[in-house]
Amino acid sequence: MMLSIKQQPFRAAVLVLVWGWLLFLVLAPNMLVVGASVMTRNPSTFISFPLNLDAYRQLFNPLYLEVFLHSLYMAAITTLICLLIGYPFAWALSRVDKRRQMLLIFLLIVPFWTNSLVRTYALKLILATNGLLNSALISLGVLDEPAQLLYTEGAVIVGLVYLLLPFMVLPLYSVFEDLRQDVLLASHDLGAGRLATFKNIIVPLTLPGVLAGVMLVLLPAMGLFFVPDILGGSRNLLVGNVIKNQFLDARNWPFGAAASIVLTLTMALLMFAHRLSKRRLGEEGA
Amino acid sequence: MKKLALAGLLALSLTGCSSDDPQVLNLYNWSEYMPQEVLTRFEEETGVKVVYTTYDSNEAMYARLKLLDESAAYDLAVPSTYYVSKMRNEGLLLPIDHSKISGFDQLDPELTGLNIDPENQYSVPYLWGTTGIGVDTADIEGEPVTAWEDLWDERFKGRVNLTNDMREVFHMGLRVLGYSGNSTDPQQIEEAYEKLTELMPSVRTFNSDAPRMPFLEGEADVGMIWNGEAVMGKGSMEALEYVYPKEGVIAWLDSFVIPKNAKNPEAAHQFISFVLQPEIAALISEDIGYATPVLSARELLGDEVAGDRASYPTPEDMVNAEFQTDIGDEALQVYAKYWEKLKSGL
Amino acid sequence: MRWLSRSYLALVYLLLYVPIVVLIVFSFNDSRTGFNWGGFSLRWYESLFNNHAMVQAMWNSLWLALTAATVSTCIGALTALALHRYRFRGKKVLNGMLFVVMMSPEIVLAISLLGLFLLLGLKLGYVSLLLAHVTFCLPFVVITVMARLSGFDERLPEAARDLGASDFTMTRTVLIPVIMPALMAGWLLGFTLSMDDVVVSTFVSGPSYEILPLRIYSMVRVGLKPEVNALGTLLLVFSLVMLMLSQWILSRSKQ
Repeated sequence: MMLSIKQQPFRAAVLVLVWGWLLFLVLAPNMLVVGASVMTRNPSTFISFPLNLDAYRQLFNPLYLEVFLHSLYMAAITTLICLLIGYPFAWALSRVDKRRQMLLIFLLIVPFWTNSLVRTYALKLILATNGLLNSALISLGVLDEPAQLLYTEGAVIVGLVYLLLPFMVLPLYSVFEDLRQDVLLASHDLGAGRLATFKNIIVPLTLPGVLAGVMLVLLPAMGLFFVPDILGGSRNLLVGNVIKNQFLDARNWPFGAAASIVLTLTMALLMFAHRLSKRRLGEEGA
Repeated sequence: MKKLALAGLLALSLTGCSSDDPQVLNLYNWSEYMPQEVLTRFEEETGVKVVYTTYDSNEAMYARLKLLDESAAYDLAVPSTYYVSKMRNEGLLLPIDHSKISGFDQLDPELTGLNIDPENQYSVPYLWGTTGIGVDTADIEGEPVTAWEDLWDERFKGRVNLTNDMREVFHMGLRVLGYSGNSTDPQQIEEAYEKLTELMPSVRTFNSDAPRMPFLEGEADVGMIWNGEAVMGKGSMEALEYVYPKEGVIAWLDSFVIPKNAKNPEAAHQFISFVLQPEIAALISEDIGYATPVLSARELLGDEVAGDRASYPTPEDMVNAEFQTDIGDEALQVYAKYWEKLKSGL
Repeated sequence: MRWLSRSYLALVYLLLYVPIVVLIVFSFNDSRTGFNWGGFSLRWYESLFNNHAMVQAMWNSLWLALTAATVSTCIGALTALALHRYRFRGKKVLNGMLFVVMMSPEIVLAISLLGLFLLLGLKLGYVSLLLAHVTFCLPFVVITVMARLSGFDERLPEAARDLGASDFTMTRTVLIPVIMPALMAGWLLGFTLSMDDVVVSTFVSGPSYEILPLRIYSMVRVGLKPEVNALGTLLLVFSLVMLMLSQWILSRSKQ
């Protein structure tokens, strides 16, 4: 160990910094959450001893199971839409000449500097019954009377997609950037059609970007509680809403902590299953 | 190199942000619950700089004051009704030094000495208001709305707004069944929940940020609203009326309290006295639309404000009105359980 | 094909910018409610600038976002490089911790960090905000950089090592240039996340250092105040100016 530090001072420095940061600001606080989840709810000190698993038992209530599944469903739809829009978008973006590319990337992010809450409210102005979209559709004669758009699940999904799309596009863009033209040309020269090139070359090569994008969208999509609060009429549509309520309103910290741990674990499990299946597929292919 | 730069940055930031100017008042209040003009005038008059930070629910304010303990340097907060007694009982507050407060005798005797703080040892009333029914009279047909019960009416399907406040919604449900809005009986709470589930298909949205907004957006025609919001909403939508339901409105009182770790209680007392001046209290009431407890301020109000039944109810309006009280933790958990169910639509 | 991809790009940009345009237009609207047009007016800008607390919060936010993005890009890049290049014990644990940050709902992150800061007796203010913001930006930077590295030809750094370059030199001369686009993307993400964050900041900020999103949150919650539109517009103008400035500098440095 001493030897390796002497040999590679840079490596050692990097590892110390990275480990230090993560242990101090990720592991330690999360241990606090785990700790809180096995303690007892206390109305005046929030949590207290004795240790027990009551909070986890409470989770098996069908109510929370249903909220969880519904949340997963909403997040999955959001992710799918982001992928469908983002994939061709990132591809088209990587085709633009270099000088404009940087500009376009900036343009993608610029709206986000106006604060997501403000933009979510702007969406509300558009979707409301008296809002711009309804007025436009009515004056065009498409609708006779305003459609109910706001405070629906659809509105929540629109909001989530709108907020999260760049998180899908950016990693996809960076893999498309790497996709070398000569590989595609070679594929073409070898007689592969467009579809075959796409299926056999482009998709596998961009898969890391897709996975990164899916993770960046799917996970936050389950927790962005202010989107249902603003566009969904404050119903409990996402797990994030339930957890927030537990911490702030019901002040049941052990339960909130347990819920967030289970959420985290489920996500990890999904990821693990995905990797496993990918590996198996890879082996079969080879 | 990067590490060095980082260390430098951190060091820089550590030194750059600790100036404890004694002449600062950290005011922790509801969002947009104090006109900027009042703050500016206070600063000009006393030279004390006001740092105005906001919260959006009693729960958030309470959790923060309680958690932060030592590092919370708030000098003044404004909890609603029963949170005063809750915080007082848990020792979170400093007693008010009444010798430093002028204008306390101007307060409405009906609003002082309430059982949340019988001798006002810890709190001084700031504003009070009610939660009743907002009606968009332009958009509804048939019988006028007069009671909470009317929200269940078929004709309002999908057009009802509720506040996003567990206690208020259950309060309403309990009143419709003829129980107290502060019930701690699990049986009654469950009945209220059953009753409220029947209302759910009618509910368009839960809104406690600004309950007038669903009306202005055209999303809701009828529903729960705070009186001040109804007054504000009427400014942009003439048809918005505030109705005192016959089962009784929910009444609340927001009071100034000084948290126990206040760094500048002196300025806090100064500020309370400043706000109790009739002229300032009148300015606040006119600007925000809620009723001031300062009696002498009411005479200064324009007829338009003082005569507005929404802001200043008549005694008949307040028949059956009920203040919320601390229901204790056990009952709170029962409420919380049903509230989750209700909002998840199950 | 080219035509098609161009128009697709244009369409998505259009959709992304519609709400922004609405925001800008309504910031000049004289009417208070924001649903009907009441004539042109600059009064929301005026009332915004008269709000000193708001202006102060804006500066605080910008400084916080700049520093948080920079620190998290540095640490994030190093983390990604370490994960990519080095074999070390507990690599999976490290990876796992990053996932945990991304997966835990913001509110939990907020509360857990608050718990930590309280336990340590750290005064809530700029430092606590910076630590928290860097922490939640970190995984995003790491993922962006990792995606870039995974498509990267492994033989290059090896060749550099074989030619006698130290690890540090190799990283500086070979890896950093390769991941530069990802670093920029990561920095931008970090800056954006930090400017945007409401939940975590709500919990870990103290009265001594108030930042913009919290102000905005309290403003939008009480109904859409037209000042918010004005503020959003200003933020947009500010970032566009920044963008043009950086483009200008880039093009000059190329010449």
